[in-house]
Amino acid sequence: MKAVIVAAAMTLVLLVVVTLAFRFHPTEARAKQMTLLYFGCALVAVLAWVITPVDLGFLAPSLLIAPQWLDLLLMLFFFSSAFFGGVLQLYNLADRGFSLRILIDLDAAKPRGGGVESLVKTYGGGQGLTWMYGKRLHGLLAGEFVRRDGDEVELTARGRRTAEIFEAAHRFLRLDAQ
Amino acid sequence: MMSPNPVMLSLLIVAWFSVFVCMHVLGFRHGRRNARWLVTSYIACCAATLLSVVAMSLWRDGGETMALSLLIAALSSACLLVLYTPAVYTVLTSLSVATLILLYRNGGRMPEAALYSRFATDSILRQRLCVLIGSGYLIEDAEGTRLTPRGRLIARAFAAVKELWRLGPGG
Repeated sequence: MKAVIVAAAMTLVLLVVVTLAFRFHPTEARAKQMTLLYFGCALVAVLAWVITPVDLGFLAPSLLIAPQWLDLLLMLFFFSSAFFGGVLQLYNLADRGFSLRILIDLDAAKPRGGGVESLVKTYGGGQGLTWMYGKRLHGLLAGEFVRRDGDEVELTARGRRTAEIFEAAHRFLRLDAQ
Repeated sequence: MMSPNPVMLSLLIVAWFSVFVCMHVLGFRHGRRNARWLVTSYIACCAATLLSVVAMSLWRDGGETMALSLLIAALSSACLLVLYTPAVYTVLTSLSVATLILLYRNGGRMPEAALYSRFATDSILRQRLCVLIGSGYLIEDAEGTRLTPRGRLIARAFAAVKELWRLGPGG
């Protein structure tokens, strides 16, 4: 039970720290910033787990996990899952979610959302679909998955390896090319 | 003090989660391509995990460690799900992934304009609108496309997160 309490408390701390960092120390590489903060908080979580008593001063013996290394391992697993599956995904969805942005734009549209044509123009707070795709392409260029060669875009070796993995996954799942 | 057997507990959780992954993937390959299938198969496997934990606890220590074992199993299984789901949706819906695959299928290079005309057009938007309508976030009528109460709730919750984190337009 100590694992659950320490992991939950550190997740709340991480959320506060991430919020403060985004508001007062904005950067282009937010995912990297969040990951660094996660590692810092994970270190603090381990320290907190080590220096606090086994029962945290109030837990009943039936709620204690033994051996103690299992409790520490579970704490790290719960905390890491909360970050990679929770906080980081919340950021990804909020900053890059295509479908979510459509919902937000429709909510902002007065009085009605209108047709697809108007959504194409108003997508992303009025920036349009070209901007949306430019953001994806910029991400692929920055991650060195692709490079520009004149008017063309070309896969790098890294991009080709990654594409091979996703292509295999798509074939296995019987998905057509999107 | 009795404690859950870590090896047996881990094996049970991982085994049932593997069954869930197999069920989800097989269902997907046979046309069950919606979130409902993911949720249904997960709930079934999670219930099986918890029942197995109850049985293990009763067999091992007469149920003395059952509550703690159930808590660990439920949380660990939920953690595995929140790690699995984004990975699956990246493969299924990411435009960046779709771009890499398209480039790969076209010999590794394409004109940039062709990529824009493939991914920054209204057809891709129509495709997503259909998914959103199918999921119950939008409805389409004679006056256009509009949000359902559920869609509005999601839109406003995430708009609040964007505001709190000062993320800008995004999308």
